[in-house]
Amino acid sequence: MIEINNLTKIYKLSAKKKRELKTNKDVKIAVNDLSLTAKPGEIFGLLGPNGAGKTTTLRCVATLLKPTKGDIKVCGFDTVKDAQKVRDSICFLTNEIKLDEHFSTDYLFNFFGKLKDMSDEEIAKRKEELFAAFNINEFKDKKIQELSTGMKQKASIAVSLVNDPEVVIFDEPTSGLDIVTAKGVLDYLKKLRADGKTVIVSTHIMSEAEKLCDRIGMIIGGKKVIEGTIPEILEETQTPDIEEAFFKLYMENTDEKEVK
Amino acid sequence: MNKTILIAKKELFRIFSDRKMVFSLYILPVIIVVAIYSIMGQLIGSMSKDIEEHNAVITVVNPTDELKDIISSSEMGKNADITFVTEDEYNSKKAEIEDSILNGDSDLIVYLDKDFGSVADSYVAGGDSLPSMKIFYNSTENYSSASYSNFDSEVVDTYKTTLLDSRYGDLSMLNAFNVDSQVICKEEKANMEFLAMMLPYMVVMMLFAGVMSVGVDAIAGEKERGTLSSMLISPVKRSEIVAGKLISMAILSIISAVVYCVAMILSIPNITGGVGNMGAGNISFTVGQMLQLVAIMVVLVYFYVGVIGLIATLSPNTRAASSAISPIYIVIIILGMMTMFRTGGTNSIGSYLIPVYGSALAISDLCKLELTSINFLASVTGTLVCGIILTFVVAKAFNSEKLMFNA
Repeated sequence: MIEINNLTKIYKLSAKKKRELKTNKDVKIAVNDLSLTAKPGEIFGLLGPNGAGKTTTLRCVATLLKPTKGDIKVCGFDTVKDAQKVRDSICFLTNEIKLDEHFSTDYLFNFFGKLKDMSDEEIAKRKEELFAAFNINEFKDKKIQELSTGMKQKASIAVSLVNDPEVVIFDEPTSGLDIVTAKGVLDYLKKLRADGKTVIVSTHIMSEAEKLCDRIGMIIGGKKVIEGTIPEILEETQTPDIEEAFFKLYMENTDEKEVK
Repeated sequence: MNKTILIAKKELFRIFSDRKMVFSLYILPVIIVVAIYSIMGQLIGSMSKDIEEHNAVITVVNPTDELKDIISSSEMGKNADITFVTEDEYNSKKAEIEDSILNGDSDLIVYLDKDFGSVADSYVAGGDSLPSMKIFYNSTENYSSASYSNFDSEVVDTYKTTLLDSRYGDLSMLNAFNVDSQVICKEEKANMEFLAMMLPYMVVMMLFAGVMSVGVDAIAGEKERGTLSSMLISPVKRSEIVAGKLISMAILSIISAVVYCVAMILSIPNITGGVGNMGAGNISFTVGQMLQLVAIMVVLVYFYVGVIGLIATLSPNTRAASSAISPIYIVIIILGMMTMFRTGGTNSIGSYLIPVYGSALAISDLCKLELTSINFLASVTGTLVCGIILTFVVAKAFNSEKLMFNA
């Protein structure tokens, strides 16, 4: 279970950042008073354009960033006060977090298993299960740097799931993957849902969200503009599909100047 | 603690399972040091041999028969190419002969006054006038300098002695008093002088270079590649990650420094072989001194690891970290060199408290067998305290989302 309550994340902007963002403001509000709940046994989708605040929200959930305001509870633990316990029950996958290319999948699986307080027996059992599910056995001893993008993604997923976490956080799960690997990843997310795990994914691919997610929260400009099941969102927005719903909400919540 | 060891082991495995890394960190420096010192030794040796074997080209103007006899019976006379000329012959070719000295074609001109023989005879008979001899040589030419030195000791001294002997009969009468100088020093200390000059510099510089080569990549490199985050989202305390990283960096750099120092010490005979004994023979430390040296090195490495760990943590990538470390490396080299040419004056205890400089002073004193317990403790304590402070700052920095995730 993930409970986000009135999350606000404000970044102070350095002079360099100001130049990059072409702004005179001293701060950037990445996430603005956002609340949502992701429950066990469901896949929750965070939808939004680039820079909407999806990744920042997920980073806050994963304890990597501290909320400026509000709080987040993961499996009942506060992400600031009980960060260690939260880290014990989550896996966070994002393109920015990578496996050390010098090691093999097998070595890293053992390493992170031990880092997460697992015994050798538990690691071996879990390895058998996950390596079979992702067809990793054929390249388990190869260094990460020798693997293809798809293989690397599979290795990352397997390593991050080593301790069978209750909460799975996925930032752009199919980004950069070929269609076959992407399907494999999405299928595994569905399996995790079936196993009763809480899964939260961020994506800007509407069709993917429509097929995968049980509930969706749309974020635009750091604010949540809608939350609900797909039928609920379609009904509320009076649109035929999620893509149309998104564009309608986007137009309503973005001033004209920004759209241009 | 278990997780710290686990992380340290992973870092060590990363280096030792990479043959290229092991080669560039531990084998290449040894090859380079041994090769450079061997080549230097051989070059110096062959240069000395060449000078030794050179046949000096000497022009002697107005030679006396006695001088000719002394030259022909001397070692130099057997090998040198000596031309005896008269005053008139010399004057006619003076410019040419002097030019040949300038060009290095000729090595020495020995000019005796025209009346050298008669003045020498009257001196022997008890006269007051002294015969005059002028020697021209080119101090910028090795052959010429060596020829002058040999001629002075083998010929001139002998000639002088002969004349004095003829005049006074018993040369011991010319002695006002006898001087019997005897060297009083600890033999091992004399041998350690060279080491006292070189070792602090080597240790101070090499330890830093060792930490630098592995430390930047271990933190800034991992941050840049996004691999550090995978550990930061694991249920491990930031302090455990920092400790694991710093311990592995320290181990790697100590190995690197030891390998380099041993290679250097073993190579010293190669270079000293070329120029004779430079005082590096019979180097020996007692067990106590070895332990002191190890303690100084370990604490110094800990401090270095803190410095480089902090810079690597504060830097967004390896390039920025390397740029920031370069000026510090120069300061470290200067601090190491400052102890190289220090004279016997004592340093205050405060200077031993200064990290790096204090360690270099302590190692220098250790080699000279002059390290007092209080100075040893001061150097270790000063560096250790700074190292601990730096470790805390690094651990604090690891908690900064701005530094870790550029947030």
